[in-house]
Amino acid sequence: MWNMFRGKPSSREVAKGRLHLVLAHDRVGLEGGKLQEMRREIAAVISRYVPIDLDAVEIQIESKSRATELKVSSPLPARGA
Amino acid sequence: MGRAIVITSGKGGVGKTTTTANLGAAIAQLGMSVVLIDADIGLRNLDVVMGLENRIVYHVVDVVQRKCTAQKALIKDRRLDNLWLLPASQTDDKEAVTPADMRKLVGELKAAYDYVLIDCPAGIEQGFKNAIAGADEAVVVATPEVSSIRDADRVVGLLAAQDIPTRLIVNRISAHMVKKGDMLSQTDVIEILALELIGAVPLDEHVVASTNKGMPAVLEGKSGAAREFARIARRLIGMDSEAERETGGGWFSRIGRALGFSSATAA
Repeated sequence: MWNMFRGKPSSREVAKGRLHLVLAHDRVGLEGGKLQEMRREIAAVISRYVPIDLDAVEIQIESKSRATELKVSSPLPARGA
Repeated sequence: MGRAIVITSGKGGVGKTTTTANLGAAIAQLGMSVVLIDADIGLRNLDVVMGLENRIVYHVVDVVQRKCTAQKALIKDRRLDNLWLLPASQTDDKEAVTPADMRKLVGELKAAYDYVLIDCPAGIEQGFKNAIAGADEAVVVATPEVSSIRDADRVVGLLAAQDIPTRLIVNRISAHMVKKGDMLSQTDVIEILALELIGAVPLDEHVVASTNKGMPAVLEGKSGAAREFARIARRLIGMDSEAERETGGGWFSRIGRALGFSSATAA
Protein backbone atom coordinates (compact mmCIF):
# COMPACT_ATOMS: atom_id res chain seq x y z
CA MET A 1 0.00 0.00 0.00
CA TRP A 2 1.38 3.27 -1.17
CA ASN A 3 0.52 5.07 2.04
CA MET A 4 2.84 2.81 3.99
CA PHE A 5 5.82 4.13 2.10
CA ARG A 6 5.01 7.61 3.26
CA GLY A 7 4.96 6.26 6.79
CA LYS A 8 1.31 7.15 7.19
CA PRO A 9 -1.08 4.39 8.20
CA SER A 10 -3.88 3.74 5.69
CA SER A 11 -7.42 4.74 6.69
CA ARG A 12 -8.13 1.00 6.88
CA GLU A 13 -5.45 0.61 9.57
CA VAL A 14 -6.70 3.69 11.40
CA ALA A 15 -10.26 2.30 11.40
CA LYS A 16 -9.01 -1.03 12.81
CA GLY A 17 -7.11 0.67 15.61
CA ARG A 18 -10.05 2.89 16.54
CA LEU A 19 -12.46 -0.04 16.53
CA HIS A 20 -10.27 -2.16 18.80
CA LEU A 21 -10.20 0.65 21.33
CA VAL A 22 -13.87 1.61 21.10
CA LEU A 23 -15.10 -1.99 21.31
CA ALA A 24 -12.88 -2.80 24.26
CA HIS A 25 -14.57 -0.02 26.23
CA ASP A 26 -18.07 -0.77 24.89
CA ARG A 27 -17.80 -4.43 25.84
CA VAL A 28 -16.91 -3.69 29.44
CA GLY A 29 -19.41 -0.84 29.69
CA LEU A 30 -16.91 1.36 31.57
CA GLU A 31 -17.07 5.03 30.68
CA GLY A 32 -13.86 7.09 30.63
CA GLY A 33 -14.55 8.79 33.98
CA LYS A 34 -15.08 5.52 35.83
CA LEU A 35 -11.90 4.12 34.33
CA GLN A 36 -9.86 7.08 35.55
CA GLU A 37 -11.40 6.74 39.00
CA MET A 38 -10.31 3.09 39.04
CA ARG A 39 -6.82 4.12 37.89
CA ARG A 40 -6.47 6.58 40.78
CA GLU A 41 -7.63 4.00 43.32
CA ILE A 42 -5.27 1.33 42.01
CA ALA A 43 -2.39 3.84 42.01
CA ALA A 44 -3.18 4.70 45.63
CA VAL A 45 -3.10 1.03 46.62
CA ILE A 46 0.27 0.48 44.89
CA SER A 47 1.70 3.57 46.59
CA ARG A 48 0.92 2.07 49.99
CA TYR A 49 3.51 -0.63 49.26
CA VAL A 50 5.98 1.05 46.90
CA PRO A 51 6.73 4.75 46.53
CA ILE A 52 5.55 5.57 43.02
CA ASP A 53 4.59 8.54 40.93
CA LEU A 54 0.78 8.33 41.09
CA ASP A 55 0.38 10.03 37.72
CA ALA A 56 2.64 7.51 35.96
CA VAL A 57 0.18 4.65 36.52
CA GLU A 58 -1.58 3.78 33.28
CA ILE A 59 -4.75 1.81 32.75
CA GLN A 60 -5.86 0.21 29.49
CA ILE A 61 -8.65 -2.02 28.27
CA GLU A 62 -7.79 -4.26 25.34
CA SER A 63 -9.90 -6.62 23.29
CA LYS A 64 -8.70 -9.71 21.51
CA SER A 65 -11.32 -11.78 19.78
CA ARG A 66 -14.23 -11.64 22.23
CA ALA A 67 -12.05 -11.65 25.36
CA THR A 68 -11.33 -8.36 27.06
CA GLU A 69 -8.35 -7.64 29.25
CA LEU A 70 -7.58 -4.91 31.79
CA LYS A 71 -3.97 -3.77 31.84
CA VAL A 72 -2.51 -1.61 34.60
CA SER A 73 1.09 -0.54 34.31
CA SER A 74 3.24 1.42 36.72
CA PRO A 75 6.95 2.20 36.68
CA LEU A 76 8.52 1.01 39.95
CA PRO A 77 11.52 2.88 41.38
CA ALA A 78 14.70 0.95 42.19
CA ARG A 79 15.30 0.48 45.93
CA GLY A 80 17.17 3.39 47.45
CA ALA A 81 16.53 5.60 44.46
CA MET B 1 -41.11 -27.50 11.83
CA GLY B 2 -39.54 -24.50 10.12
CA ARG B 3 -36.68 -22.33 11.19
CA ALA B 4 -36.77 -18.64 12.16
CA ILE B 5 -33.86 -16.36 11.31
CA VAL B 6 -33.68 -12.72 12.37
CA ILE B 7 -31.72 -10.26 10.20
CA THR B 8 -30.34 -7.52 12.43
CA SER B 9 -27.54 -4.94 12.62
CA GLY B 10 -27.95 -2.33 15.36
CA LYS B 11 -27.22 0.55 13.02
CA GLY B 12 -29.76 1.59 10.41
CA GLY B 13 -29.09 1.89 6.70
CA VAL B 14 -26.62 -0.98 6.36
CA GLY B 15 -28.88 -3.16 4.21
CA LYS B 16 -30.95 -5.29 6.61
CA THR B 17 -34.16 -4.98 4.62
CA THR B 18 -32.46 -5.54 1.27
CA THR B 19 -30.70 -8.57 2.74
CA THR B 20 -33.97 -9.97 4.13
CA ALA B 21 -35.74 -9.50 0.78
CA ASN B 22 -32.94 -11.10 -1.22
CA LEU B 23 -32.31 -14.03 1.12
CA GLY B 24 -36.07 -14.67 1.30
CA ALA B 25 -36.43 -14.67 -2.47
CA ALA B 26 -33.30 -16.79 -2.91
CA ILE B 27 -34.45 -19.41 -0.40
CA ALA B 28 -37.87 -19.51 -2.10
CA GLN B 29 -36.10 -20.03 -5.45
CA LEU B 30 -34.48 -23.10 -3.91
CA GLY B 31 -37.96 -24.55 -3.42
CA MET B 32 -38.51 -23.85 0.28
CA SER B 33 -41.56 -22.03 1.60
CA VAL B 34 -40.62 -18.69 3.13
CA VAL B 35 -42.44 -16.04 5.17
CA LEU B 36 -40.82 -12.62 5.59
CA ILE B 37 -41.91 -10.65 8.65
CA ASP B 38 -41.35 -6.90 8.74
CA ALA B 39 -40.77 -6.29 12.46
CA ASP B 40 -40.14 -2.56 12.02
CA ILE B 41 -43.51 -1.41 13.34
CA GLY B 42 -44.20 2.25 12.55
CA LEU B 43 -41.51 2.44 9.84
CA ARG B 44 -42.31 -0.38 7.47
CA ASN B 45 -40.06 -0.82 4.45
CA LEU B 46 -39.85 -4.47 3.51
CA ASP B 47 -43.12 -4.11 1.54
CA VAL B 48 -41.65 -1.46 -0.80
CA VAL B 49 -38.32 -3.28 -1.17
CA MET B 50 -40.32 -6.38 -2.18
CA GLY B 51 -42.60 -4.31 -4.44
CA LEU B 52 -45.71 -5.50 -2.56
CA GLU B 53 -46.79 -2.17 -1.04
CA ASN B 54 -50.02 -1.91 -3.03
CA ARG B 55 -51.39 -5.20 -1.79
CA ILE B 56 -51.36 -4.70 1.97
CA VAL B 57 -54.69 -5.26 3.71
CA TYR B 58 -53.75 -6.54 7.16
CA HIS B 59 -50.47 -6.32 9.08
CA VAL B 60 -48.60 -7.86 11.97
CA VAL B 61 -50.34 -5.75 14.64
CA ASP B 62 -53.76 -6.89 13.32
CA VAL B 63 -52.60 -10.49 13.72
CA VAL B 64 -51.26 -9.91 17.24
CA GLN B 65 -54.51 -8.14 18.21
CA ARG B 66 -56.51 -11.01 16.69
CA LYS B 67 -58.28 -8.85 14.13
CA CYS B 68 -57.35 -11.51 11.59
CA THR B 69 -55.40 -14.76 11.31
CA ALA B 70 -51.75 -14.77 10.28
CA GLN B 71 -52.67 -16.68 7.10
CA LYS B 72 -55.09 -13.92 6.12
CA ALA B 73 -52.55 -11.15 6.64
CA LEU B 74 -49.87 -12.81 4.51
CA ILE B 75 -49.31 -11.32 1.05
CA LYS B 76 -48.31 -13.87 -1.54
CA ASP B 77 -45.49 -12.88 -3.87
CA ARG B 78 -46.64 -13.23 -7.49
CA ARG B 79 -43.14 -13.89 -8.83
CA LEU B 80 -42.45 -16.90 -6.66
CA ASP B 81 -44.96 -19.55 -5.63
CA ASN B 82 -43.73 -20.11 -2.12
CA LEU B 83 -42.86 -16.65 -0.80
CA TRP B 84 -45.06 -14.57 1.52
CA LEU B 85 -44.76 -11.24 3.34
CA LEU B 86 -46.28 -10.29 6.68
CA PRO B 87 -46.05 -6.48 6.59
CA ALA B 88 -45.54 -4.17 9.56
CA SER B 89 -48.12 -1.61 10.61
CA GLN B 90 -47.28 1.95 9.63
CA THR B 91 -49.48 3.64 12.25
CA ASP B 92 -48.91 1.75 15.50
CA ASP B 93 -45.82 2.09 17.65
CA LYS B 94 -43.41 -0.60 18.73
CA GLU B 95 -45.16 -1.16 22.06
CA ALA B 96 -48.18 -2.56 20.20
CA VAL B 97 -46.31 -5.89 20.07
CA THR B 98 -44.51 -7.76 22.86
CA PRO B 99 -41.76 -10.37 22.68
CA ALA B 100 -44.31 -12.97 23.84
CA ASP B 101 -46.63 -12.02 20.93
CA MET B 102 -43.76 -12.43 18.48
CA ARG B 103 -42.68 -15.75 19.93
CA LYS B 104 -46.20 -17.08 19.50
CA LEU B 105 -46.62 -15.68 15.98
CA VAL B 106 -43.25 -16.97 14.77
CA GLY B 107 -43.97 -20.38 16.33
CA GLU B 108 -47.28 -20.56 14.44
CA LEU B 109 -45.65 -19.65 11.13
CA LYS B 110 -42.80 -22.11 11.67
CA ALA B 111 -45.38 -24.88 11.94
CA ALA B 112 -46.62 -24.13 8.42
CA TYR B 113 -43.57 -22.82 6.51
CA ASP B 114 -39.95 -23.93 6.08
CA TYR B 115 -38.32 -20.56 6.83
CA VAL B 116 -39.42 -17.42 8.67
CA LEU B 117 -37.10 -14.45 8.08
CA ILE B 118 -37.57 -11.53 10.46
CA ASP B 119 -36.45 -8.07 9.35
CA CYS B 120 -35.36 -6.35 12.56
CA PRO B 121 -35.65 -2.58 13.06
CA ALA B 122 -32.54 -0.51 13.77
CA GLY B 123 -31.67 0.07 17.42
CA ILE B 124 -31.55 -2.21 20.44
CA GLU B 125 -34.81 -1.28 22.19
CA GLN B 126 -38.32 -2.74 22.13
CA GLY B 127 -38.41 -3.35 18.37
CA PHE B 128 -35.15 -5.29 18.55
CA LYS B 129 -36.34 -7.32 21.51
CA ASN B 130 -39.54 -8.17 19.65
CA ALA B 131 -37.69 -9.14 16.48
CA ILE B 132 -35.26 -11.54 18.15
CA ALA B 133 -37.85 -13.09 20.51
CA GLY B 134 -38.91 -15.92 18.23
CA ALA B 135 -35.63 -16.41 16.36
CA ASP B 136 -33.69 -19.68 16.29
CA GLU B 137 -30.66 -17.93 14.86
CA ALA B 138 -29.48 -14.49 13.81
CA VAL B 139 -27.68 -12.97 10.87
CA VAL B 140 -25.92 -9.71 11.70
CA VAL B 141 -25.40 -7.38 8.74
CA ALA B 142 -22.50 -4.93 8.98
CA THR B 143 -20.90 -2.62 6.45
CA PRO B 144 -17.11 -2.17 6.65
CA GLU B 145 -17.37 1.08 8.62
CA VAL B 146 -16.44 1.94 12.19
CA SER B 147 -19.98 3.00 13.23
CA SER B 148 -21.67 -0.06 11.74
CA ILE B 149 -19.17 -2.48 13.27
CA ARG B 150 -19.43 -0.82 16.65
CA ASP B 151 -23.22 -1.18 16.66
CA ALA B 152 -22.99 -4.73 15.31
CA ASP B 153 -20.73 -5.63 18.24
CA ARG B 154 -23.36 -4.38 20.68
CA VAL B 155 -26.01 -6.50 18.99
CA VAL B 156 -23.74 -9.56 18.94
CA GLY B 157 -23.35 -9.23 22.71
CA LEU B 158 -27.13 -8.97 23.21
CA LEU B 159 -27.76 -12.00 20.98
CA ALA B 160 -25.12 -14.01 22.82
CA ALA B 161 -26.82 -13.14 26.13
CA GLN B 162 -30.03 -14.71 24.71
CA ASP B 163 -28.09 -17.78 23.46
CA ILE B 164 -29.06 -17.08 19.85
CA PRO B 165 -26.43 -18.47 17.44
CA THR B 166 -25.21 -15.66 15.21
CA ARG B 167 -23.41 -15.37 11.89
CA LEU B 168 -22.16 -12.35 9.98
CA ILE B 169 -22.81 -10.81 6.57
CA VAL B 170 -20.41 -8.08 5.55
CA ASN B 171 -22.32 -5.86 3.15
CA ARG B 172 -21.18 -3.37 0.49
CA ILE B 173 -17.52 -4.30 0.27
CA SER B 174 -15.49 -2.66 -2.48
CA ALA B 175 -12.40 -4.64 -3.46
CA HIS B 176 -10.99 -1.56 -5.08
CA MET B 177 -11.16 0.48 -1.86
CA VAL B 178 -9.84 -2.37 0.28
CA LYS B 179 -6.88 -2.65 -2.06
CA LYS B 180 -6.21 1.06 -1.79
CA GLY B 181 -6.22 0.72 2.00
CA ASP B 182 -9.31 2.85 2.33
CA MET B 183 -11.78 0.21 3.48
CA LEU B 184 -11.79 -2.52 6.11
CA SER B 185 -11.65 -5.96 4.49
CA GLN B 186 -14.02 -8.77 5.37
CA THR B 187 -11.15 -10.43 7.24
CA ASP B 188 -10.70 -7.27 9.32
CA VAL B 189 -14.41 -7.28 10.20
CA ILE B 190 -14.44 -10.98 11.10
CA GLU B 191 -11.38 -10.53 13.27
CA ILE B 192 -12.85 -7.54 15.10
CA LEU B 193 -16.30 -9.03 15.67
CA ALA B 194 -15.06 -12.62 16.21
CA LEU B 195 -18.06 -14.02 14.33
CA GLU B 196 -18.47 -16.72 11.72
CA LEU B 197 -18.86 -15.17 8.26
CA ILE B 198 -21.76 -16.45 6.16
CA GLY B 199 -21.08 -14.14 3.24
CA ALA B 200 -19.66 -10.85 1.99
CA VAL B 201 -21.77 -8.91 -0.47
CA PRO B 202 -20.01 -6.60 -2.92
CA LEU B 203 -20.99 -2.96 -3.27
CA ASP B 204 -23.14 -3.25 -6.38
CA GLU B 205 -25.16 -0.60 -8.18
CA HIS B 206 -27.56 -3.28 -9.45
CA VAL B 207 -28.97 -3.44 -5.92
CA VAL B 208 -29.92 0.25 -6.06
CA ALA B 209 -31.58 -0.19 -9.45
CA SER B 210 -33.50 -3.33 -8.48
CA THR B 211 -34.65 -1.74 -5.21
CA ASN B 212 -36.00 1.22 -7.21
CA LYS B 213 -38.24 -1.23 -9.02
CA GLY B 214 -39.30 -3.22 -5.97
CA MET B 215 -37.55 -6.28 -7.32
CA PRO B 216 -35.05 -8.20 -5.14
CA ALA B 217 -31.74 -8.37 -7.03
CA VAL B 218 -31.70 -12.19 -6.93
CA LEU B 219 -34.83 -12.21 -9.14
CA GLU B 220 -33.09 -10.08 -11.73
CA GLY B 221 -30.19 -12.31 -12.59
CA LYS B 222 -26.51 -12.36 -12.28
CA SER B 223 -25.16 -9.23 -10.62
CA GLY B 224 -22.33 -9.75 -8.14
CA ALA B 225 -24.56 -9.00 -5.16
CA ALA B 226 -27.31 -11.29 -6.46
CA ARG B 227 -24.86 -14.17 -6.84
CA GLU B 228 -23.58 -13.67 -3.32
CA PHE B 229 -27.08 -13.43 -1.81
CA ALA B 230 -27.98 -16.67 -3.59
CA ARG B 231 -24.86 -18.32 -2.21
CA ILE B 232 -25.61 -17.09 1.32
CA ALA B 233 -29.15 -18.48 1.00
CA ARG B 234 -27.77 -21.92 0.08
CA ARG B 235 -25.40 -21.75 2.99
CA LEU B 236 -28.12 -20.60 5.39
CA ILE B 237 -30.30 -23.62 4.64
CA GLY B 238 -27.41 -26.07 4.37
CA MET B 239 -27.73 -26.57 0.61
CA ASP B 240 -24.29 -25.24 -0.25
CA SER B 241 -22.01 -27.54 -2.19
CA GLU B 242 -18.92 -29.16 -0.77
CA ALA B 243 -16.73 -26.86 -2.87
CA GLU B 244 -18.46 -23.79 -1.48
CA ARG B 245 -18.07 -25.01 2.08
CA GLU B 246 -14.38 -25.64 1.62
CA THR B 247 -13.69 -22.15 0.38
CA GLY B 248 -15.88 -20.53 3.02
CA GLY B 249 -16.10 -16.99 1.78
CA GLY B 250 -17.39 -17.76 -1.71
CA TRP B 251 -16.24 -16.90 -5.17
CA PHE B 252 -14.97 -13.46 -4.59
CA SER B 253 -13.08 -14.20 -1.42
CA ARG B 254 -11.32 -16.89 -3.44
CA ILE B 255 -10.34 -14.20 -5.89
CA GLY B 256 -9.38 -12.00 -2.96
CA ARG B 257 -7.13 -14.65 -1.51
CA ALA B 258 -5.54 -15.19 -4.90
CA LEU B 259 -4.72 -11.50 -4.96
CA GLY B 260 -3.22 -11.68 -1.52
CA PHE B 261 -5.93 -9.90 0.40
CA SER B 262 -9.37 -10.80 1.58
CA SER B 263 -12.20 -8.78 0.19
CA ALA B 264 -14.91 -8.53 -2.38
CA THR B 265 -14.73 -7.90 -6.05
CA ALA B 266 -17.25 -5.32 -7.15
CA ALA B 267 -19.46 -6.60 -9.90
